[in-house]
Amino acid sequence: MGTINAALSLISQALDADQAGLNVISNNVANASTTGYTEEKSAFKENSSINIDGVQYGTGATQVGPVSQRDKVLEQRLNQQQQLASASSSRLTALETLQSTFSTSTSTSSSTSAGSIGTDLTDFFDSFSSLEASPTSNSLRQEVLTSAKTLSGDVSSAALSLESQKSELDQQAASVTTQVNALTTDLAKVNQEIQSQSSDSDAGTLEDQRQEYLSELSKLIGINQVTTEDNGISVTTTDGQLLVSGGNSVTLTMGTVSGVTHFFLGSNDVTDDLTSGGGELGGLLTVRDQDIPSATASLDQLAYSVSTQVNTLNNAGTDLNGNTSDAGNIFNEPTEVSGSSLAMSVVMTDPNSIAAASSSEGTGDSSNAEAMAALASSTIVDGATPENYYSNFVTSLGSTVSSVESENTAEEASVTQLQSQVDSISGVNLNDEASALTVLERSYEAASQVFSILNEMMASAINLGEETTVS
Amino acid sequence: MQVNPYYVTNLVGSLDTVQGKIQSLTSELSSGERVTKLSDDPLAVGENVLLLDKINQDDAFTQSSSIVQGQLQVSDSALGSVVTQLTSAIQLATSANNGTMNSSDVKSISSELEGIRDEVLSLANTSYLGQYVFAGGQSSTQPFTLDSTTSPATVTYNGDTDINDLETPNGQSIQLNVAGSDIFTASGSDNVFTALNNLIADYSSGTVDTSTAVADTASLNTALNWVSQQRVTIDNSLTQLTSATDAVTNDQLQMTTVQTNLMQADVADVSTQMSLAETQQSALESVIAALESSSTNLFNKLS
Repeated sequence: MGTINAALSLISQALDADQAGLNVISNNVANASTTGYTEEKSAFKENSSINIDGVQYGTGATQVGPVSQRDKVLEQRLNQQQQLASASSSRLTALETLQSTFSTSTSTSSSTSAGSIGTDLTDFFDSFSSLEASPTSNSLRQEVLTSAKTLSGDVSSAALSLESQKSELDQQAASVTTQVNALTTDLAKVNQEIQSQSSDSDAGTLEDQRQEYLSELSKLIGINQVTTEDNGISVTTTDGQLLVSGGNSVTLTMGTVSGVTHFFLGSNDVTDDLTSGGGELGGLLTVRDQDIPSATASLDQLAYSVSTQVNTLNNAGTDLNGNTSDAGNIFNEPTEVSGSSLAMSVVMTDPNSIAAASSSEGTGDSSNAEAMAALASSTIVDGATPENYYSNFVTSLGSTVSSVESENTAEEASVTQLQSQVDSISGVNLNDEASALTVLERSYEAASQVFSILNEMMASAINLGEETTVS
Repeated sequence: MQVNPYYVTNLVGSLDTVQGKIQSLTSELSSGERVTKLSDDPLAVGENVLLLDKINQDDAFTQSSSIVQGQLQVSDSALGSVVTQLTSAIQLATSANNGTMNSSDVKSISSELEGIRDEVLSLANTSYLGQYVFAGGQSSTQPFTLDSTTSPATVTYNGDTDINDLETPNGQSIQLNVAGSDIFTASGSDNVFTALNNLIADYSSGTVDTSTAVADTASLNTALNWVSQQRVTIDNSLTQLTSATDAVTNDQLQMTTVQTNLMQADVADVSTQMSLAETQQSALESVIAALESSSTNLFNKLS
C-alpha cells in the first residue's frame, strides 16, 4: 500500500539527491582551475524496492559517489613519460653548459683565440716548425714556451671547468634528494589515510592528492608503482628498491664515495639505479657520472700523450746549454693518464733548454725541432694525431648533445599529448557541468512540483472532503 | 567523445616554441654564424678544427719562410762575392805566372792575394742573425780560423757537415745551408784557402817557381768552379722556397673559402625560415585571441 506519506518521503529523498548532485557540480566548478583535481560525477542508484502483499513498491533513489573520473593506467603512463622527459631535460641543460666550455671551436678566426685547444695545439707544434728556420733564435725559443703555456693553460682550465660543473651537479642532486624525501613522506601519509578507509573504490580527493604527489615524484626520480590491497600503492625506484610502502617511507640518504655524492636507501648504494632510472635526478647523475668523466678522460689522454711525447723528445736532443740527452722536461711530466689534464703545466723556464738539435749534432742543428714538429702529424694520441683527436672529441660531444636535444623534444611532445588525454578525461569541462546543472535543476523543479501536488493531496485527505480545516 | 578543456594551454606552449625559434634565427642572422655551439652541427665543428689547423700551419710557414729567405739570400750573395774575389785572384796569379813581372810587382801581387784571402775568409765566416751560415751544425762557432804563424798560412775548418732542412706544410724538405767544408773544398782535395795560401807563399819572395805556381793556380781554379756549383744548391733552395710559399698562400685562400661556406649563415635561407616562423607566430596569436574573446562556455549562453 503506497501512502501519501511514503510518497512524500520518497520525493523529499529525491530533493536531497538532487541537492547532493548540485553540490558535486558546484564543487567541480569551484575546482575547475585546481591542479590535480579530477572531475567528479554524481551517480544515482535506485533503492531496493519492498514487497508488500506481492506488490512491489519503489523506495526512491540515493546518490552514490561522487565518482572521480580518472584513468589510473593513463596517469601512470603519463608519469612514466614525465620521468623520461625530465631526465632528458635536466641532462640537456647540463650538457649545454658542458659543451660551452669548448665552444671556441666554432670560431672561424685564424688568429690566436684564447681558450681554443685546437688552435693552441696547432700553434704549439707550429712553434717547433718555425724553430727549424733558426734553431738558436732566442725569440723563436721564447715563442715555443709561450705557446706551450697557452696550450697547458687552456687544457687545465677546461679540466677545471669540468670539475667545478661536476660539483655543481652534485649540489643540485642533493637538493633534489631533499625534495624527494619530503614527497615520499607526504605520500606515505596519504597512503595510510586512504588505506584506513579500507575500500577498494576510488578515494576521491585523497586520491587526487596522492596522484599529485606521484606526478611530482616522477618529475624528480624514476619510480615504479604497484597497487596493493586496500587501495594502497607501493612505490619503488625503477630498479625495485623500496621507497614507499603503506604508511612507511624510506629516506634517501647521501654519503661521499670517492669524492662524489652517492645515494643510499638504508645501506644499499642506489646511485647507479637512480642514474639510469630517469627523472631530474637521473639526468643530473648521468651527466655527472658519465658525460663529464668521459670528456675529462679524453682531455686527460690528450694532455698525457702530448706532454710525455714532447718531454721524451726534448730529453733526446741537445739544448743550447750543451746538455745532451738530459735537457729537461718542457711540460710537467704526468705519472698516469687520469688527472693529467688538470695538472698540465709548463715547467721549463729557460728557453735555452729546448733541445732543438739532435743529440749527435752541434747546437745549430734543427733535426730535433723537426722531430717535435712532426709530432703534430704522428698518431700519438690513442691512434690519432692530436688535432684529429681533438676534432673527433668536439664532434662526438656535439653529437651527444644534439641527440639528447632531439630525444627531449620528442619526449616533451609525448608528455603534452598524454597530458591532453588525461585532461580530457579528468579535467573539468564547464560545458558538461552546465548541462548537468540544467538537468538537475529541472529534476529539482519536477520533484518540488510533485511535492506541492502531494501536499495538496495530503491536505484533502486530512480534510476528508471538507474544505475548511486545512488548506 | 571527450575534449581536453585546457587546449589553450597547448596552444600557448606552441607559441613559446615558435618564439624560441625566432630568437635563435635572429641571433644567427645578426652574428652571421651558422654554428654557435657544438650541437648546432657537430660534424662542421670537427671539420672547422681541422681547417683552422691547416690555415694556421700555412700562416706559420709563411712567417718562417721570410726568415729563411733572408738567410738563403745572405748565403747566396756571400758566395757570389767569393766567386768575384776568386776570379780576380786567378787573374792576378795568371799575370804573375807569365814571367813578365819584376820582383816587387810579384811581391805586391802576393799582398793583394793576402787581401783577397782575408776577404774570402771573412765571407766564409758570414753570419745571419748572429749565427754562422757556413758552419754546418756548429753555428755558434766561427767556422774558419787563420793561423798565419805557419808558412804557408793555414786555415782550419771548425764546423761540421750537418745540414738543416725546413719542412713545408705539403711535406717538402728545403735545404737551408751548405757546410763550409763542402763549399770551400772541392771533392778531391782542392781547397780554396790552401790554394790561396800557397799562392801567397809562392809569390812572397818575389821570385816565381813557375811549375808550383801554375799547379796552385789550377787548384784555385778547380776550387772556384766548385764554389759556383755549391752556390746552385742555395739558389735551388730559394726557388723552392718561393714556389712553396706561393702554394701555401693559395692553399690558405682555398681553406678559408671552404671554412666560410661551412660555418657562415646562409642569409637567404635564414630569412625565409624566419618569415615562416613569424607568420606562424601571428597565426597562433590570432587563434588564441579569438578563442579567449568568444564566449565558448555554456554557462555564458545559459544566463
